[in-house]
Amino acid sequence: MPKPTKGPRLGGGPAHERLLLANLAAALFTHKSIQTTETKAKRLRPFAERLITFAKRGDLHSRRRVLAVIPDKDVVYELFSEIAPLVAEREGGYTRITKTGFRKGDNAPMAVIELVLEPVSKKPASSKKSAARADVKPATADAPAAEEAPAAEAPAADEQPETTEVEVPVEAEESAPAEDAESGAEAPAESDEDAAK
Amino acid sequence: MAVPKRKQSRSNTRSRRSQWKAEAPKLVKTTENGKTVYRLPHRANVVEDSAGTPLYLEYKGRKVADV
Repeated sequence: MPKPTKGPRLGGGPAHERLLLANLAAALFTHKSIQTTETKAKRLRPFAERLITFAKRGDLHSRRRVLAVIPDKDVVYELFSEIAPLVAEREGGYTRITKTGFRKGDNAPMAVIELVLEPVSKKPASSKKSAARADVKPATADAPAAEEAPAAEAPAADEQPETTEVEVPVEAEESAPAEDAESGAEAPAESDEDAAK
Repeated sequence: MAVPKRKQSRSNTRSRRSQWKAEAPKLVKTTENGKTVYRLPHRANVVEDSAGTPLYLEYKGRKVADV
Protein backbone atom coordinates (compact mmCIF):
# COMPACT_ATOMS: atom_id res chain seq x y z
CA MET A 1 0.00 0.00 0.00
CA PRO A 2 1.54 3.33 -1.01
CA LYS A 3 2.29 5.81 1.72
CA PRO A 4 -0.04 8.81 1.54
CA THR A 5 1.64 11.84 0.06
CA LYS A 6 2.03 14.99 2.04
CA GLY A 7 1.72 18.46 0.61
CA PRO A 8 -0.24 19.88 -2.28
CA ARG A 9 -1.86 17.76 -4.99
CA LEU A 10 -0.52 17.55 -8.49
CA GLY A 11 -2.46 19.65 -10.97
CA GLY A 12 -5.30 21.75 -9.72
CA GLY A 13 -6.86 19.57 -7.02
CA PRO A 14 -7.52 16.06 -5.78
CA ALA A 15 -9.66 15.10 -8.79
CA HIS A 16 -7.13 16.57 -11.19
CA GLU A 17 -4.37 14.61 -9.51
CA ARG A 18 -6.33 11.36 -9.75
CA LEU A 19 -6.92 11.88 -13.45
CA LEU A 20 -3.35 12.95 -14.05
CA LEU A 21 -1.89 9.89 -12.33
CA ALA A 22 -4.36 7.57 -14.07
CA ASN A 23 -3.41 9.01 -17.47
CA LEU A 24 0.30 8.76 -16.67
CA ALA A 25 -0.13 5.14 -15.56
CA ALA A 26 -2.07 4.28 -18.73
CA ALA A 27 0.68 5.89 -20.82
CA LEU A 28 3.31 3.97 -18.89
CA PHE A 29 1.56 0.64 -19.46
CA THR A 30 1.11 1.28 -23.19
CA HIS A 31 4.59 2.64 -23.91
CA LYS A 32 6.56 0.82 -21.13
CA SER A 33 8.74 3.90 -20.71
CA ILE A 34 7.68 7.54 -20.51
CA GLN A 35 9.41 10.81 -19.89
CA THR A 36 7.86 13.20 -17.40
CA THR A 37 8.92 15.54 -14.60
CA GLU A 38 10.73 14.11 -11.61
CA THR A 39 7.87 14.98 -9.26
CA LYS A 40 5.26 13.27 -11.39
CA ALA A 41 7.47 10.24 -11.87
CA LYS A 42 7.96 9.89 -8.13
CA ARG A 43 4.23 10.18 -7.50
CA LEU A 44 3.43 7.78 -10.30
CA ARG A 45 5.72 5.04 -9.02
CA PRO A 46 3.65 3.73 -6.05
CA PHE A 47 0.43 4.35 -7.97
CA ALA A 48 1.49 2.29 -11.00
CA GLU A 49 3.08 -0.45 -8.92
CA ARG A 50 -0.14 -0.91 -7.01
CA LEU A 51 -2.00 -1.41 -10.29
CA ILE A 52 0.62 -3.97 -11.35
CA THR A 53 0.08 -5.81 -8.08
CA PHE A 54 -3.61 -6.04 -8.95
CA ALA A 55 -2.66 -7.28 -12.40
CA LYS A 56 -0.47 -10.00 -10.89
CA ARG A 57 -3.42 -11.18 -8.81
CA GLY A 58 -5.28 -11.38 -12.09
CA ASP A 59 -8.84 -12.20 -10.98
CA LEU A 60 -12.01 -10.45 -12.08
CA HIS A 61 -12.31 -8.36 -8.93
CA SER A 62 -8.82 -6.95 -9.26
CA ARG A 63 -9.46 -6.29 -12.96
CA ARG A 64 -12.52 -4.27 -12.05
CA ARG A 65 -10.57 -2.36 -9.43
CA VAL A 66 -7.97 -1.42 -12.06
CA LEU A 67 -10.72 -0.53 -14.52
CA ALA A 68 -12.08 1.87 -11.91
CA VAL A 69 -8.80 3.78 -12.19
CA ILE A 70 -7.94 3.31 -15.86
CA PRO A 71 -11.18 3.19 -17.89
CA ASP A 72 -9.38 2.11 -21.07
CA LYS A 73 -9.98 -1.62 -21.52
CA ASP A 74 -7.19 -2.00 -24.08
CA VAL A 75 -4.62 -0.74 -21.59
CA VAL A 76 -5.97 -2.92 -18.79
CA TYR A 77 -5.96 -5.96 -21.08
CA GLU A 78 -2.34 -5.32 -21.96
CA LEU A 79 -1.45 -4.82 -18.31
CA PHE A 80 -3.07 -8.09 -17.23
CA SER A 81 -2.10 -10.30 -20.18
CA GLU A 82 1.34 -8.99 -21.15
CA ILE A 83 2.93 -7.02 -18.33
CA ALA A 84 1.76 -9.15 -15.38
CA PRO A 85 3.40 -12.43 -16.54
CA LEU A 86 6.70 -10.62 -17.11
CA VAL A 87 6.82 -9.33 -13.53
CA ALA A 88 5.35 -12.46 -11.93
CA GLU A 89 8.70 -13.42 -10.35
CA ARG A 90 9.50 -9.89 -9.20
CA GLU A 91 8.64 -9.00 -5.61
CA GLY A 92 7.89 -5.33 -6.02
CA GLY A 93 9.96 -2.62 -7.63
CA TYR A 94 8.30 -2.87 -11.02
CA THR A 95 9.36 0.57 -12.17
CA ARG A 96 12.66 2.34 -12.60
CA ILE A 97 13.11 6.10 -12.50
CA THR A 98 16.15 7.63 -14.14
CA LYS A 99 16.72 11.36 -13.92
CA THR A 100 17.55 12.72 -17.33
CA GLY A 101 17.86 16.44 -17.77
CA PHE A 102 16.11 19.76 -17.51
CA ARG A 103 13.18 20.75 -19.68
CA LYS A 104 13.68 23.58 -22.11
CA GLY A 105 11.25 26.34 -21.27
CA ASP A 106 10.78 25.97 -17.53
CA ASN A 107 13.98 24.11 -16.57
CA ALA A 108 11.92 21.46 -14.79
CA PRO A 109 13.97 18.40 -13.81
CA MET A 110 12.86 15.55 -16.03
CA ALA A 111 12.97 11.80 -15.51
CA VAL A 112 12.26 8.65 -17.47
CA ILE A 113 10.04 6.15 -15.67
CA GLU A 114 10.00 2.69 -17.19
CA LEU A 115 8.69 -0.75 -16.37
CA VAL A 116 11.32 -3.23 -15.23
CA LEU A 117 10.47 -6.18 -17.47
CA GLU A 118 13.80 -7.99 -17.46
CA PRO A 119 13.87 -11.41 -15.75
CA VAL A 120 14.81 -11.27 -12.08
CA SER A 121 18.49 -11.89 -11.36
CA LYS A 122 19.54 -12.57 -7.77
CA LYS A 123 22.18 -10.26 -6.36
CA PRO A 124 25.42 -12.02 -5.36
CA ALA A 125 25.69 -9.83 -2.26
CA SER A 126 22.45 -11.21 -0.79
CA SER A 127 23.63 -14.82 -1.31
CA LYS A 128 26.81 -14.01 0.60
CA LYS A 129 24.68 -12.68 3.44
CA SER A 130 22.53 -15.83 3.55
CA ALA A 131 25.67 -17.99 3.37
CA ALA A 132 27.11 -16.14 6.34
CA ARG A 133 23.89 -16.72 8.23
CA ALA A 134 23.91 -20.41 7.29
CA ASP A 135 27.50 -20.71 8.58
CA VAL A 136 26.64 -19.14 11.91
CA LYS A 137 23.37 -20.93 12.54
CA PRO A 138 24.46 -24.62 12.29
CA ALA A 139 27.31 -23.98 14.77
CA THR A 140 24.89 -22.65 17.37
CA ALA A 141 22.29 -25.28 16.56
CA ASP A 142 24.78 -28.17 16.85
CA ALA A 143 26.05 -27.18 20.29
CA PRO A 144 22.91 -28.10 22.27
CA ALA A 145 22.02 -31.03 19.99
CA ALA A 146 25.45 -32.66 20.01
CA GLU A 147 23.99 -36.16 20.10
CA GLU A 148 22.01 -35.57 16.93
CA ALA A 149 25.00 -33.97 15.23
CA PRO A 150 26.51 -37.13 13.62
CA ALA A 151 23.22 -37.98 11.98
CA ALA A 152 22.73 -34.38 10.94
CA GLU A 153 26.25 -34.04 9.58
CA ALA A 154 25.93 -37.00 7.22
CA PRO A 155 23.40 -35.28 4.95
CA ALA A 156 25.27 -32.00 5.47
CA ALA A 157 28.43 -33.64 4.15
CA ASP A 158 26.46 -34.76 1.12
CA GLU A 159 25.39 -31.21 0.58
CA GLN A 160 28.90 -29.78 0.76
CA PRO A 161 30.11 -30.94 -2.70
CA GLU A 162 26.98 -29.50 -4.23
CA THR A 163 27.76 -26.04 -2.93
CA THR A 164 30.66 -25.76 -5.34
CA GLU A 165 28.52 -26.73 -8.32
CA VAL A 166 25.15 -25.11 -7.78
CA GLU A 167 25.12 -22.28 -5.30
CA VAL A 168 21.63 -20.92 -5.23
CA PRO A 169 19.43 -24.00 -4.55
CA VAL A 170 21.73 -25.30 -1.82
CA GLU A 171 21.78 -21.95 -0.12
CA ALA A 172 18.04 -21.93 -0.25
CA GLU A 173 18.06 -25.32 1.47
CA GLU A 174 20.57 -24.15 4.03
CA SER A 175 18.76 -20.93 4.76
CA ALA A 176 15.49 -22.78 5.21
CA PRO A 177 16.72 -24.85 8.22
CA ALA A 178 18.37 -21.71 9.59
CA GLU A 179 15.02 -19.95 9.49
CA ASP A 180 13.44 -22.99 11.09
CA ALA A 181 16.04 -22.81 13.84
CA GLU A 182 15.23 -19.15 14.31
CA SER A 183 11.52 -19.71 14.48
CA GLY A 184 12.13 -22.65 16.79
CA ALA A 185 14.23 -20.42 19.04
CA GLU A 186 11.62 -17.70 19.03
CA ALA A 187 8.65 -19.92 19.64
CA PRO A 188 9.74 -21.21 23.11
CA ALA A 189 10.60 -17.65 24.18
CA GLU A 190 7.12 -16.53 23.20
CA SER A 191 5.56 -19.46 25.02
CA ASP A 192 7.60 -18.52 28.11
CA GLU A 193 6.24 -15.01 27.88
CA ASP A 194 2.74 -16.39 27.57
CA ALA A 195 3.36 -18.59 30.63
CA ALA A 196 4.63 -15.55 32.54
CA LYS A 197 1.48 -13.67 31.71
CA MET B 1 -6.22 49.13 -5.78
CA ALA B 2 -3.39 49.22 -3.28
CA VAL B 3 -0.69 51.69 -4.30
CA PRO B 4 2.82 52.19 -2.80
CA LYS B 5 2.94 55.29 -0.66
CA ARG B 6 6.63 56.02 -1.19
CA LYS B 7 9.32 55.43 -3.71
CA GLN B 8 11.45 52.51 -2.60
CA SER B 9 14.94 53.70 -1.77
CA ARG B 10 17.94 52.65 -3.78
CA SER B 11 19.36 51.14 -0.59
CA ASN B 12 16.35 48.89 -0.01
CA THR B 13 16.38 47.73 -3.60
CA ARG B 14 20.06 46.93 -3.47
CA SER B 15 19.78 45.19 -0.09
CA ARG B 16 17.10 42.90 -1.50
CA ARG B 17 19.05 42.18 -4.64
CA SER B 18 22.20 41.39 -2.66
CA GLN B 19 20.48 38.15 -1.65
CA TRP B 20 20.22 36.91 -5.25
CA LYS B 21 23.03 34.43 -5.46
CA ALA B 22 23.99 31.94 -8.07
CA GLU B 23 25.07 28.57 -6.74
CA ALA B 24 27.61 26.44 -8.51
CA PRO B 25 26.20 23.01 -9.41
CA LYS B 26 27.70 20.19 -7.39
CA LEU B 27 29.44 18.00 -9.91
CA VAL B 28 31.16 14.67 -9.68
CA LYS B 29 34.50 13.97 -11.29
CA THR B 30 34.66 10.87 -13.44
CA THR B 31 37.27 9.49 -15.78
CA GLU B 32 36.10 8.30 -19.17
CA ASN B 33 38.52 7.01 -21.81
CA GLY B 34 41.38 8.67 -19.97
CA LYS B 35 39.68 12.05 -19.94
CA THR B 36 38.44 13.67 -16.74
CA VAL B 37 34.87 14.91 -17.06
CA TYR B 38 32.52 16.59 -14.60
CA ARG B 39 28.92 15.44 -14.49
CA LEU B 40 25.79 15.97 -12.46
CA PRO B 41 25.44 13.10 -9.99
CA HIS B 42 22.56 10.59 -10.35
CA ARG B 43 21.57 11.93 -13.74
CA ALA B 44 21.68 10.30 -17.15
CA ASN B 45 24.23 11.75 -19.51
CA VAL B 46 24.12 12.24 -23.25
CA VAL B 47 26.26 9.92 -25.32
CA GLU B 48 27.71 11.60 -28.39
CA ASP B 49 29.49 10.20 -31.39
CA SER B 50 32.89 11.47 -32.48
CA ALA B 51 31.34 14.37 -34.41
CA GLY B 52 29.54 15.58 -31.28
CA THR B 53 26.06 14.59 -32.42
CA PRO B 54 23.94 13.48 -29.46
CA LEU B 55 22.89 9.83 -29.82
CA TYR B 56 21.02 8.77 -26.68
CA LEU B 57 20.82 9.16 -22.92
CA GLU B 58 22.75 6.67 -20.84
CA TYR B 59 22.84 5.91 -17.12
CA LYS B 60 25.04 3.27 -15.49
CA GLY B 61 25.77 1.58 -18.81
CA ARG B 62 22.09 1.34 -19.68
CA LYS B 63 20.43 3.20 -22.52
CA VAL B 64 17.62 5.23 -20.98
CA ALA B 65 16.01 7.25 -23.74
CA ASP B 66 16.53 8.83 -27.09
CA VAL B 67 17.53 12.46 -27.22
